[in-house]
Amino acid sequence: MLIGLLGLDQHEVGAVAVARLLRDAGMEVIYLGRFNFPPGIVKTAADENADVIGLSCHSWEYLHYIDELLALLAAQGLQVPVVVGGSVLTASDERLLREKGVAATFGPTSSVEDIPAAIRSLVTSARRP
Amino acid sequence: MTERATRSGIPLEPVYGPGDVAGLRYDEALGDPGTFPYTRGRRPPEQAASAWIQRQLSGEGTPIRSNAQLKYLIGKGATGIDVIGDTPTMAYLDPDHPAAAHAVGTQGVSLCCLEDYRELYAGLPLDGLTVSHSLPPLFGIAGFYLAARERGIDPARLRGSVVQPPFYCEDCGYATHMPFPLRLRMTVDSIEFASREMPRFHAFLEDTYYISDGGLDAVEEMALGFVEIRYVVRELLRRGVPVDAFAPRIAILVNCGMDFFEEVAKIRATRRLYARMMREEFGARDPRSLAVNIASHTSGLSLTAQQPVNNIVRGTTQALALALAGVQGIEISGFDEAFRTPSPESHLVGLRTQQVIQLETHVTRVADPLGGSYYVEALTGAMERRIQEMVARIEGLGDPAGLCERGWFRALFQDAMERHAREIRDGVRPQVGVNVHRMAEGEDTLLRDVAERKIEPSRERAERIRGFKRSRDSRRLRAALEDVREAARDTAQNLMPPTIAATAAGATLGEVAWVLRAAYSAPGDPFGMMEPPL
Repeated sequence: MLIGLLGLDQHEVGAVAVARLLRDAGMEVIYLGRFNFPPGIVKTAADENADVIGLSCHSWEYLHYIDELLALLAAQGLQVPVVVGGSVLTASDERLLREKGVAATFGPTSSVEDIPAAIRSLVTSARRP
Repeated sequence: MTERATRSGIPLEPVYGPGDVAGLRYDEALGDPGTFPYTRGRRPPEQAASAWIQRQLSGEGTPIRSNAQLKYLIGKGATGIDVIGDTPTMAYLDPDHPAAAHAVGTQGVSLCCLEDYRELYAGLPLDGLTVSHSLPPLFGIAGFYLAARERGIDPARLRGSVVQPPFYCEDCGYATHMPFPLRLRMTVDSIEFASREMPRFHAFLEDTYYISDGGLDAVEEMALGFVEIRYVVRELLRRGVPVDAFAPRIAILVNCGMDFFEEVAKIRATRRLYARMMREEFGARDPRSLAVNIASHTSGLSLTAQQPVNNIVRGTTQALALALAGVQGIEISGFDEAFRTPSPESHLVGLRTQQVIQLETHVTRVADPLGGSYYVEALTGAMERRIQEMVARIEGLGDPAGLCERGWFRALFQDAMERHAREIRDGVRPQVGVNVHRMAEGEDTLLRDVAERKIEPSRERAERIRGFKRSRDSRRLRAALEDVREAARDTAQNLMPPTIAATAAGATLGEVAWVLRAAYSAPGDPFGMMEPPL
């Protein structure tokens, strides 16, 4: 799976922690780090045949990039689930993101232990024909 | 982390007594406040101001909106200001840069040209206020200098500071996309310039806050801070700047987390280490070069999105530790820190917290009230030894500049982030509302409406700056940017005067940064989206 931050947001603590958590859970993580924009993320997802795209947000830039990202994925016929996590997500942000087509969201009150299982179930259901 | 240890792993006894400070010689290790080695404070008690500078980190949206924010805080009793740029400004990008589109003004103020600084400081008493800048140093100084001079204020009278982050900025949230030699040069040039032209201004603010708020412990925080200070000091000495010309204006902005006594000990140990280092290693003689000015920003990482009201208690506890340690300035992270840059409500609570501690608790009536405590002195000693050992270990690995370029520090920051997340996850480090005493989501409502209010990006800024760029005298601008390029290619020149001249000629932050990066063989625009200004 890919993990990265969007735009100019540089708050990496959450992204680094989740990347490690998922690696420890046996997943292959490509850590994209900071300064990602939708076209680059979609290209990497295609090139690396990613199962999931994970975005960590500690700024509100995601609100503006998420539509572009989902549209680009759809335009290329890539059915890669997108998950978004970060302390800035409020309950209504999480609802909004799911309505837009984000597969899973992890706000500040989500329990970290649940993240690997949630990602795994997304991968399994995405792979199911 | 054992149960009885500080956050940085210093083992603790259940109680401390005379035996723990048996070897401590008062004159050598402590001294009265205001005397070497300044462990107990940088000023003699009779001269020590009863209050520290009370400010709250500010900056949001346009310069005009931020100006209103600053005036609001001053109107409520703030005695200094600290301005932070938004993410594009901190990355040396103009607001019309495509990558900045959704980030202008949401996490700080958008500043890119002289007019912005005029608007930011409009109506503020620049000669009677300390103005701290969490901004790119060359540009923060240029803007402040020009805005003051235009108003007839002699820059020599300006007080305040600017952060100098050449070593760790790329790894810790202030990425400039500039090569190390350029970052170091901007730091050294601006300090050298200010030591001549702005002698009251702290042009060398070592910011250990932002490097540690990813999870470094207190020993790591100060060790990395000292590594950077030592490197920059040596560089200034190599240029022939006398130590007593710049050292009086070195300040440190430290973090303050929740390990109360460790934070107090960290500050006391830092004063002692710094004084000995400046005198014995760098030959400083001016007492002001030995007694370091320490300000603090309380830890954002210690604050939680859960039960945001608890963050007010955390900020209060941290500010009390700082008041007891005797610092020169305090900023309290907003209780809404986990969600946003400070709301007016959290700004006010932070300021009121400082005022209540200062005016109602009497904790500052006596200098260094914790001095002489068996525990505090033992911990101060342990902290000092550990910081010193880590500095020696890092410098023993080779040239710190090389370590920086090879990503050695980045690995340290990453390990710290992972360690922090693990400690919270495993409950080793209790955090109320997160891994202990949690609350159901529906019940956790207090102050949530304030914390969750969003700030829209200042999209009008992009159009305004595009219009401004079209309106300039292009020949004058071009000539000024050519001068920056010439200066950048000749390391015997100081970058500060041509940066000031270019700013006066209408050049923006992004344009000057473009020219500087290109002169150092780096891409002028790190994202490859903008046309070159030259």
